[in-house]
Amino acid sequence: MKPKVAFFDFSGCEGCQLDALNLDAGDVVDLLNAVDIVNFREVMTERADDYDIAFIEGSVTRESEIARLQKIRSQAKVLVALGACASIGGVNCLKNHLPMEEALRIVYGDKAGYYDTIPARPANAVVAVDYYVRGCPPVTGELVKVVKALLLGKKPEIPNFPVCVECKMAGNICVFERGKTCLGPVIRAGCSAICVTSGRHCWGCRGLVDEPNVDSEKDILQKYGLTVAQVVEKFKIYNTYGDVAK
Amino acid sequence: MVDDEAIVRESIKDWLEDAGYQVATAETGEEALELIGKRDFGFMILDIRLPGKTGIEVLKEVKAQRPWIKSVIVTAYPSAETTAEAARLGAIDYLIKPVVPDGLEKLIRETIESAGREPTVTTVEVRPKPPVKAPEIKRSVVITREGLKTLVEGLAEDMEVVGVKSRNGKYDYDKITAFAELSLNYDVSVTPPTRYLLPPLETLFKFKLGAALELKPAADTTRRAIIGVHPSDIKAMEMLDEAFMATNPDPNYHARRQNTVIIGVDCLNPSPKSFAPSMGTHLAETGFDLLLTDIGDDRYVVNVGSAKGDELLEKHTKVREPTGDEIARQKAVRDEAFYKYRLSLNVPRERLPKLLDDSYDSPYWESRSATCLSCGSCVMVCPTCFCFNVQDEVALNLKDGERLRHRDGCTLIDFARVASGENFRHDKASRFRHRIYRKGKYILERYGRIGCVGCGRCATACLADIASPLEAFNALAESARIQEAARRVISEIQPRTELYTPRPAELVRVRELTAREKVFEFRFKDGSALGQLPGQFVEVSVMGVGEAPISISTSPTRGKSFQLAVRNVGDVTNALHKLQAGAVVGIRGPFGNGFPIQALEGRDVLLIAGGIGLFPLRSLLQFILDRRDSFKRVILLYGSRSPAERLFPEELADLSQRRDIEFHETVDKGDATWQGNVGVITTLIPKVNIDPKKTIAIAVGPPIMYRFVIGELKKRDLADDNVIVSLERRMKCGVGKCGHCQINGVYVCQEGPVFTLTQLRKMREAV
Repeated sequence: MKPKVAFFDFSGCEGCQLDALNLDAGDVVDLLNAVDIVNFREVMTERADDYDIAFIEGSVTRESEIARLQKIRSQAKVLVALGACASIGGVNCLKNHLPMEEALRIVYGDKAGYYDTIPARPANAVVAVDYYVRGCPPVTGELVKVVKALLLGKKPEIPNFPVCVECKMAGNICVFERGKTCLGPVIRAGCSAICVTSGRHCWGCRGLVDEPNVDSEKDILQKYGLTVAQVVEKFKIYNTYGDVAK
Repeated sequence: MVDDEAIVRESIKDWLEDAGYQVATAETGEEALELIGKRDFGFMILDIRLPGKTGIEVLKEVKAQRPWIKSVIVTAYPSAETTAEAARLGAIDYLIKPVVPDGLEKLIRETIESAGREPTVTTVEVRPKPPVKAPEIKRSVVITREGLKTLVEGLAEDMEVVGVKSRNGKYDYDKITAFAELSLNYDVSVTPPTRYLLPPLETLFKFKLGAALELKPAADTTRRAIIGVHPSDIKAMEMLDEAFMATNPDPNYHARRQNTVIIGVDCLNPSPKSFAPSMGTHLAETGFDLLLTDIGDDRYVVNVGSAKGDELLEKHTKVREPTGDEIARQKAVRDEAFYKYRLSLNVPRERLPKLLDDSYDSPYWESRSATCLSCGSCVMVCPTCFCFNVQDEVALNLKDGERLRHRDGCTLIDFARVASGENFRHDKASRFRHRIYRKGKYILERYGRIGCVGCGRCATACLADIASPLEAFNALAESARIQEAARRVISEIQPRTELYTPRPAELVRVRELTAREKVFEFRFKDGSALGQLPGQFVEVSVMGVGEAPISISTSPTRGKSFQLAVRNVGDVTNALHKLQAGAVVGIRGPFGNGFPIQALEGRDVLLIAGGIGLFPLRSLLQFILDRRDSFKRVILLYGSRSPAERLFPEELADLSQRRDIEFHETVDKGDATWQGNVGVITTLIPKVNIDPKKTIAIAVGPPIMYRFVIGELKKRDLADDNVIVSLERRMKCGVGKCGHCQINGVYVCQEGPVFTLTQLRKMREAV
């Protein structure tokens, strides 16, 4: 009996779903041999409410989404947060710094009255989350790794070390040595330091490691020339949910 | 005391022993080196002409093995060459015989005081050195650059060739497709070449899931030549050989090692963070097939280290016997490189295990690791780190799998965590300590080779600047010395009778500044200089009235007399104000730390003086004006309460004319005569344009001023380290005893009165 897998989109750009199955054809066939996908709005029209593994994409930003997510949780054996918005709140939480009325007005103008919104939050602020596939978007194939781990009956390995580890393994010259700044030292790895390897820096899309030394990272960012305000901005992009929630 | 003349040797020994030193003597250089290997010395007096090894040769070996020993040369046969050579080897002076013993004693005393270190004569247990495998073959030849090119091209036909390439201004190992890509004169590679023996990620074996477990080993047997390996990395590879091949030989490592050719190159331009000589790794005798030394003119001396190296030369290229001159040249360029290392260990490396043993509970681990990011950068770039993790990876068909090993390291949070959740090294301090112990003790004891080769990569990679084992070893050694010194203080040290006794100084002239302030110029009766740093203070005694701390208002660059500007506020200052030229007062000091001149050099300096805060700042201002080229922009902001209370008005007028200083002034309250700015001192700060990255601000004024000035400076984004203030406290004794000046745990007369804002933030009572 193959496990049934379902995907659910909440508030987000749906890029994670789109990218998640951007696999080689052979891998898609292997995946479909291993599981039944019963609910996936991006690729199929059929829907079913009978599933084992639920992937949640996007953050919760409307009152109605709370009940919807709770219902999914009650039906799924395993619930996995897919992508930055579902895992850590992501860029949606930038709006939490504004009064909700103002956020609505900025986005919908004089049509604001037709919509409702609540401060954005990750899936685990609403229901218990079993596993996370992090990133904005996650590395292609990462989702498959989680599925494989579950099929093999083991916990998906989620690195709890920072991007620096994979960055050094990739042989990169440190972003700071290149005269720029980076969130890599406190951000969870798993991405093979893809942004630094491509010549950029880490933006923090996979969220903080457990027990991050954020104070030290902030001191270092200042030492390398950022103002206090710029340091705050740098953390804000993806990692503002915890700050606002406090 | 090393001299072959018994009379010189014994007379100086007697003299110094009378002066309280413990002295050992040696007749020859060999004897001296043997003594130095067994015991710890602080100072060496060395004759140049000795039977056997010369003084210069002894000095060179001492610099390599015991770089902290201060040496002075004595000789009856001075020459320009030996003087220059001795100076290059770090000798502090060069005396010509006959030597005056009390002059020599004074030199030793001052040198030891300036190094902050009492002579220590502690017996050192030297560990037996591990048996070093003799090289399979040992000979030297010469190859031209063209010949080397032929060799590399020949190797490339037989195997994969990796070497050091330039990349974005740094260097790193990569595959070499053309000889021209190869850099042989580089400082340090971003990643160590050990990754070709122990890659960041590799497959240990492959397997198939199913009823019958099918396993297939997956060792990498690619034949590979690594070209341009520095001696320190060669030593790291030898350490890895011990760890991976001596016991429980590792098949994957072994396969790589057997198929690897190592062509080393002497490091002639070391990274400024390297301390290889202190770890004994700047040269390699073994561990390579070939080792190149660039002797200039497109020639390399090649040390052949193995039969395989010999075969490769034979097969691929042409070499010739070296001339005597070329062998001498190899030695000379190696010496030249040796002098370029700037960092050194302040403790014999044989003593590191013992030092670490004694430092397990040191507060250093906790305090230094506070900023540790647990990012793992230190272990990921280290050539001697080899810890790994193992994970299974299965294909989507759920049949084919492989077991992978990837780099892991003890500074990462989860390194010692088990499945139940227990973490056996859960805090930063214990992980930080563990890594340093591996580098200085555990690896040495387990494998007989030092766990740190001094390459400096971790010091470069660590953003928090805490990773260098050298720094840890030196800090722990210093702390051990202080503890040792403290024990000696109680048992042996004679009290300094002059501690509380002032020196007589004559009042040369006195001048009234305002109704409340006068400036006094003093000169010591014995003609000596005060020797102050800008920002220090003295204790001034008017006998019968008492003693008061007064900041020094003149720079040491302005001659032997010194000025104290004094506001009449208490008994002592009132008595001072009544004195006439010719009167004699008592002076103790100078005390305190003074302004950080070295940190200011090459920077923009923003001086902010409020009221009589100008008195101490004037000494710094004079110093800067007298050494104007050493500093970039100089800006002075000065605020007085009223035009009548402006201090040194004629000097202020002169400053406003100068082009090499930007001077802005304000008064809190103007009057009919005043045409300048009116407003408190903080109103001047927004008016000046400063670059927060280049500027250091120094503020001196009344306590109330600091809060507001600091606030304004922080609005301009100055880092805490670059905001400096001088604090006023009740400094009664000046020597860190009486307790009056204490701010929390800090004695202002000792650690202050000058503090950075970083320091100030930890002193809750300060502002």
